[in-house]
Amino acid sequence: MPEMIACFKWVIDEAYIRRGPEGELDLSSVNYKISEYDRNAIEEAVRLREAHGGSVIPVTVAAPEAAKGVKDALSRGGDRAFFIADEAFHDLEPSQTAAVLAEVIRSRIPHDLILCGEGSGDLYAQQVGPRLAEHLEIPCISFVQKLSIEQGRLIAERKVEEGLEVVAAPLPALVTVLPDINVPRIPGVKDTLAAAKKPFVTVKRDELSGKYEAHLATLLVRATQMERQCERFGTQPEDVARFLESLRKKGAIGQKGG
Amino acid sequence: MAGVWIFSERYEQLLELLNAGRRLARSMGTKLSAMSQLDPEKAATLFSHGADAVLVLPPLSENPSLDAFIPVIVAEVRKEDPDVFLLSATLRGRELAARIAARLNTGLCGNCIALEIDRDDGALRMERLVYGGAGLQAVTCSSRPAMASIPPGTFEPAPADGEGKGVVRTLPAPPPSAVQIIERKTKTSRGTDIAEARVVIGVGRGFEKEEDLHLAGELAEALGGEIGCTRPISAELHWLPEEVCIGLSGLQVKPDLYVGLGISGQIQHATGIRSSKWICAVNKDENAPIFAVADFGIVGDLYDVIPKLIAALKN
Repeated sequence: MPEMIACFKWVIDEAYIRRGPEGELDLSSVNYKISEYDRNAIEEAVRLREAHGGSVIPVTVAAPEAAKGVKDALSRGGDRAFFIADEAFHDLEPSQTAAVLAEVIRSRIPHDLILCGEGSGDLYAQQVGPRLAEHLEIPCISFVQKLSIEQGRLIAERKVEEGLEVVAAPLPALVTVLPDINVPRIPGVKDTLAAAKKPFVTVKRDELSGKYEAHLATLLVRATQMERQCERFGTQPEDVARFLESLRKKGAIGQKGG
Repeated sequence: MAGVWIFSERYEQLLELLNAGRRLARSMGTKLSAMSQLDPEKAATLFSHGADAVLVLPPLSENPSLDAFIPVIVAEVRKEDPDVFLLSATLRGRELAARIAARLNTGLCGNCIALEIDRDDGALRMERLVYGGAGLQAVTCSSRPAMASIPPGTFEPAPADGEGKGVVRTLPAPPPSAVQIIERKTKTSRGTDIAEARVVIGVGRGFEKEEDLHLAGELAEALGGEIGCTRPISAELHWLPEEVCIGLSGLQVKPDLYVGLGISGQIQHATGIRSSKWICAVNKDENAPIFAVADFGIVGDLYDVIPKLIAALKN
């Protein structure tokens, strides 16, 4: 029965990000959430457990505030979790996150399959999964939209530019999943209560032996700008006609329709 | 040997990377090397597009997974020690770049949309989007090589502007990948159509039922456009195929005209349409974020507005 690790990240909910007066990112009133893509990874692990048995172990590397995320991951169907938490784990870059995950997974968490989202909701660097596979020296299949375990090996449909490839790989292996692989269930009250009783292990920075130095230095982060005209129109036929006239004047549509 | 290296498994993207790499190599006063999976004859055409050196990966028997080449690419990079290594951020390329960076123990600017050499300190400054496109991050890399994966279409292809010649060197063959390809399925061309379309109609959650999408179809026909959608429409409702999903993690479209119907305008979707020349929106919620990123918006029910638009266009 497969032991499955679902990696997740506790990220800023980008819907709450505002643009500050100086073009800076205003993060003063943000909420946090499990990165959307990682919810698909957890859900897929739970589905595989429903089909094959085994267990689902959510794992995250984060600052201590992310404890809420660990509960959330357990309420989404994890059996037990690993919370690799330290003040030093604010704003890690993907290479660091992958290296930390690799050390903990290698030394403490037996696994047949590791599932990651295709990227994180904040950085969307799309590196942690593939880098983690390299550290663990296991096969990596990215951008998976369909997944099954058949006769002890992994069968996956991965998206590529020309369409898709159906591939097979021996276990243990790592996959990164696309959002359309499933629709994550929304935890109910029962799930939340059950999650409170599930075990999780906290791993601290000083229990790890790696150095985890950064390779990238961030020079700046600022808000992006979309400078648009922002003209508004009503719904009366004459408003609609004015709307189309504006588009014609800009050359966005031809004189007669499209 | 230092230099700027590029790799892509696709010819169009090699030309785009040659353009990006050429500029860097010039400002660094160094050479530009292209690595590809092309046959040697086709690979030789890269010289006239600006490559100083061309390396090719050997053909492998029967359908290898591209990741089979990672050990060969890594060995070559270790041997030659380039300063900069750019890969195209195709789906395969993004995985490849991250895995190569892990083996080389270096940094990677994933989905890099701009890069330049700083005139003062000579460092490579790379930019990328964060927070679903709400933010822009600029980074430098302190390890060698500095790596970036660059989305297709970020740069124009390098023109053929000389009779550049050189010797194409073929790299040794790697052992097979643990990932075995069982079947390849080529998709319908819809995704490509919308990426190239002059007019794109975006469908969002404002549509109540799948049957109602004919309204979007009729407007698309009247405007000569293609239909795309937001993530919930393809991933959750499956009303439209995932190939036409527009957003940061889907397609990034750049039509002359984009019309969002019943789309709230979450940042990921807004990022997918930001390169459109003109953006229009129809939404009954006047506070929908789509209006902040639209040039022309109609605040109204799409079921009321679309027939009026079609009637006016036919008039």
